[in-house]
Amino acid sequence: MNAHAEYQELTDQQKLIDMRQELEGGFQTVIRHYQAGILHRPEKIRQAVRDNDAERVSMESHSMKSVCRQVGLMNMGEMAARLETIGNAGDLSGAEELIERLIASSVTANHELTRFCTGMELPKPFFSRAAHDE
Amino acid sequence: MATILVADDDESFRVYLVTILKQAGHTVLEAEDGQSAMERFAASPVDLIITDIFMPKMDGIDLLSALLMDRPQTRVIAISGGYKAMSSQLTLEMARSFGAMDIITKPFQAATVLQKVTQALESE
Repeated sequence: MNAHAEYQELTDQQKLIDMRQELEGGFQTVIRHYQAGILHRPEKIRQAVRDNDAERVSMESHSMKSVCRQVGLMNMGEMAARLETIGNAGDLSGAEELIERLIASSVTANHELTRFCTGMELPKPFFSRAAHDE
Repeated sequence: MATILVADDDESFRVYLVTILKQAGHTVLEAEDGQSAMERFAASPVDLIITDIFMPKMDGIDLLSALLMDRPQTRVIAISGGYKAMSSQLTLEMARSFGAMDIITKPFQAATVLQKVTQALESE
């Protein structure tokens, strides 16, 4: 893989484009709340994993999944869905690695959302997180 | 225009829904869980409630049951992204069976929300 190739977290920009059109002046305020959730909720999931609290892992991951999917972060939504499934199963094996990936992705996603909101172009071509990890 | 109560434990979704509804001219009240929604509704009945299903303290199904037992004419729209082994569709069909007059799947578009709100408010 090209060492300079960038994967992109914001894989469904249309969701944000629709949101911006629908919300007009309210878009920036709404998206700031989503960004806060995307940045802070993974830490709550990590703490729940450290506390070995599967129910909390499931609940927090469920919220993270919905937040990510709403703003077009589909790969992160999938990671959160996998964490939710792990939490539901009650066995948190494998959750630590996944949560670290989710945290790393949340930082990238936050930058991408900021770029989108300020009208800056996102890097292209992009690769999904899954492709990047291979 | 109507008074609408939005119940969702996730602040980002709550802010999104409140923004959409206020832009459409509605008065909006907020609750961060089912219990708070019950309290707000008891203090000030509203024309419509939009509730998430999976919330702490009191979830949307319990809220639906309690509300409709007390005031059967209450209009409720349930919203969810699914949880545990249940898909969002299955979750929302369960909400419908408990009395929700309509359902919205997360992720959603503002236009869908406004359309369903209008339909709910116009229904008898």
